[in-house]
Amino acid sequence: MLDKLKALCELNGTSGDESRVREYIKDHITADEVFTDNLGNLIVFKKGKRSPKNKIMFAAHMDEVGFIVTHISDNGFISFGAVGGIDPSVVLGRSFVLESGAYGVVGTKAIHQQSADERRSIPDFSEMYLDIGAYSAKEAEKLAPLGSRAYFDTDFFEFGDGYVKGKAIDDRLGCLVLMEMINGEPEYDAWYAFTVQEEIGTRGAKAAAFTIAPDIAFVLESTTACDIAGVSGAKTVCRLGKGAVVSYMDRSTIYDRKLYDLAFETAKANCIPVQTKTLVAGGNDSGAIHISSGGVRTCAISVPCRYLHSPSCVIKYDDFLAVNALAQKMLSAAANL
Amino acid sequence: MELCSESGVSGEEFPASEKAAELLREYAENVSVDAFGNVTGFVKCDDTNAETLMLDAHIDRVGFIVTYIDENGFIGVGACGSPDVKTLLAQSVTVHGKKPVRGVVSTLPLHVKAKKEGNAPEISDISIDVGMTKSQAEELISLGDRITVDSHFRELGRDIISSAAVDDRAGVCAVLRSLELLKDRKPAYNIAVCFSAQEETGERGAKQTAFRIMPDRAIAVDVSFGTTPDSSPKETAELGSGVMIGFSAALDKEMSESLRELAKKQNIPFTSEIMPSSTGTNADSIGTIGKGVRCCTLSFPIRYMHTSVETVNIRDIESTAELICEYAAGGAKNA
Repeated sequence: MLDKLKALCELNGTSGDESRVREYIKDHITADEVFTDNLGNLIVFKKGKRSPKNKIMFAAHMDEVGFIVTHISDNGFISFGAVGGIDPSVVLGRSFVLESGAYGVVGTKAIHQQSADERRSIPDFSEMYLDIGAYSAKEAEKLAPLGSRAYFDTDFFEFGDGYVKGKAIDDRLGCLVLMEMINGEPEYDAWYAFTVQEEIGTRGAKAAAFTIAPDIAFVLESTTACDIAGVSGAKTVCRLGKGAVVSYMDRSTIYDRKLYDLAFETAKANCIPVQTKTLVAGGNDSGAIHISSGGVRTCAISVPCRYLHSPSCVIKYDDFLAVNALAQKMLSAAANL
Repeated sequence: MELCSESGVSGEEFPASEKAAELLREYAENVSVDAFGNVTGFVKCDDTNAETLMLDAHIDRVGFIVTYIDENGFIGVGACGSPDVKTLLAQSVTVHGKKPVRGVVSTLPLHVKAKKEGNAPEISDISIDVGMTKSQAEELISLGDRITVDSHFRELGRDIISSAAVDDRAGVCAVLRSLELLKDRKPAYNIAVCFSAQEETGERGAKQTAFRIMPDRAIAVDVSFGTTPDSSPKETAELGSGVMIGFSAALDKEMSESLRELAKKQNIPFTSEIMPSSTGTNADSIGTIGKGVRCCTLSFPIRYMHTSVETVNIRDIESTAELICEYAAGGAKNA
C-alpha cells in the first residue's frame, strides 16, 4: 500500500490543477458510477453487499499546496505566489519542478552578503524569485508561462521506525483510503467524493456535497501534529503513532457528537488505535460539507501529520493503517444509525 | 559531477576526499589522502629548477554536527562553517551516523504558528526528526556525527546546474579539468595539487598542506558571489561572465595582473574580482606559510552560496580551468 501512496504523492496537482490526480484515480478504481463535475470533483458510487438506511459519503481532497507563476523579469527570473497556505520559510534554498518539467531553485543573495536584519528575516513570496537558469524573459516564458504551476522537488521515502516523508501526503492518503474502500468489497452502498480546491477554501467539497446530498459524511484527512522538540502538552495537538485522529471541533466545524462517540466505540471494539486533538486548530472539507444540502452529519478521520504544507510531510505508517481500518468500519457502523 | 554527491562536511571530508583522490590519480602522481582528509598529488616538470605552483581547492562543504539527542529522539545541531540556516526548515537531511540516517528538519506549520513576522530560525532552534525514540537514535547516531542537507543535482537552463556542495567541489572540478587540458602541454612549474580540508571552518587544511609543499606560488580556486535579483551588481558577477581573477592587498599583484593579461591574450572570458583587504579563501592562509607564497585567487560566480541549491554555470568552470592550464603551461612567463 506504501507504493500506492508514493505514486499518489508524486503526482503534481495544486488546487485548480488536479487533473493528473483525478485521471490516476479514475484509472485505478472499479466502481458502479464515476463522473467528473464542473469543478473537477471526481464523484463515485460503489454498490456494497447491502443498501444502507442512510446515504453515506466519504470525501478526500485531491489538491495539494504549490506555487503559481505570476511574473517574469527581463533577465528571466520568475516571481510566484503560493496556492494554499505555505510558510515562506519552507521555500527558501530548495529545488522545484515546473509544470513543463523544467527545474528551478529559490534562494537569496549569499549569507555573507546579507545584513544582520536580512539574516534574521524570511522574505515574503513577493520578494522571492524562482531561478530556472534562463538567460532571458523569452526563454523563461517558454518553460514557465504565467499561470503555470510549480511544485516541491522532493523525494518520498521511509525513514526511522516506520515513518514516511513526502509532499502532498495531505491529502493523497485520504484519496488512497477511498480508493481502497471502492476497490474492496464494501458492506454497504456508498458515495465517494475526490474533491478539488480544498487548500484554497474547501471549494470543491461545496459542490460535491450538494450533488451527492448525503445524510452522513466522513472526511478522510491528514491533520496537524506538533509532537516535535520544544512543544509539549496540549500544543502537540495530536501525536504520531497514537492512531487515527477523530476531531470534536476545529476552526471550521463542530463535529456531530454521536458520530464522534461512535468512531471511538467502533475503534475500541476493533482494537484500532484512536485519539483526538488537544487544540482547536485547522480545518478541512467538513467545514463545507456539514452546512451543505440542509445539513450533513459529519465526522473527520485523520492521519496525524507533522510539517503539513511543506515538502516534507511526515506521518507514521501505522496511523495510516488505523485510519484505513476505521474508515471501513465506520461505513457499517453508520449505515443504519 | 559525482563530486557534489559525496558528503564531506568540514572535519569529516573522507568520502569526498577519497572520490577526489581517485579522480586526481588520472592526472597526477603520488596522490594521497592525509589524516585530515587533505588530498595532495603532483605533476612534475622537466625543468628541475622550476618553481613549485600549488593549485588549491577545498574539499569540505558546509554542514551540521550532532550536538544533542533529546528525550524523544529529536536531534539538536550545530553548524560547521556558515550554512544559511534560513533555508533549513522542512528540508530532508542525512545524518552520517553508523549508517546514513535520513530525517527531516522540524518546523511548526502555519496553522498553529504564532505569527512572528520576519523571524528566521537560529541554529539553536533547529532540530531533526529521525523518526526514532531516543534509544533507537542512539544506536545509530552519536554526538559529533555530521549532517548534510539532501540535494538533487539538477540541470536548470543551458549549462547551468544546481546542487549542494558546488562550493567548492566545482573548484576541485576546475582544477581536475585544468590538469586534463594540461595533459597535451608541458607544465612550466612543478605542480602540487591540493584539495584541502576544513576551509569553511578557518582555512585549516590549506595551512597543513601548504607547509608540507612549501610552494613558490599558489592559485586558490574557489567560488564567489553570483548576481541575483536581490544582490548588488557591484559586489557580484553574472553567471556566465567567466573566471574571476582576484585582486586584493593579500594577493600577489604581479600574479593577478599577469593572469589578467593571459586571459586577455587567450580570449578567455574573465572579470576582475576586487577584494580590498583579504579574500576569505585559502589564499589568505597559504600566502603566509613558510617564507611566504605568492598567491592569487581564481574564482567563478555561484548563486545561493552555502545552501543546498548552489547554482553555477559550467562554462565558468571551464574558463577557470583554461586559465589555470595556460598559467601552469608558462603562458604568463612568456608574456
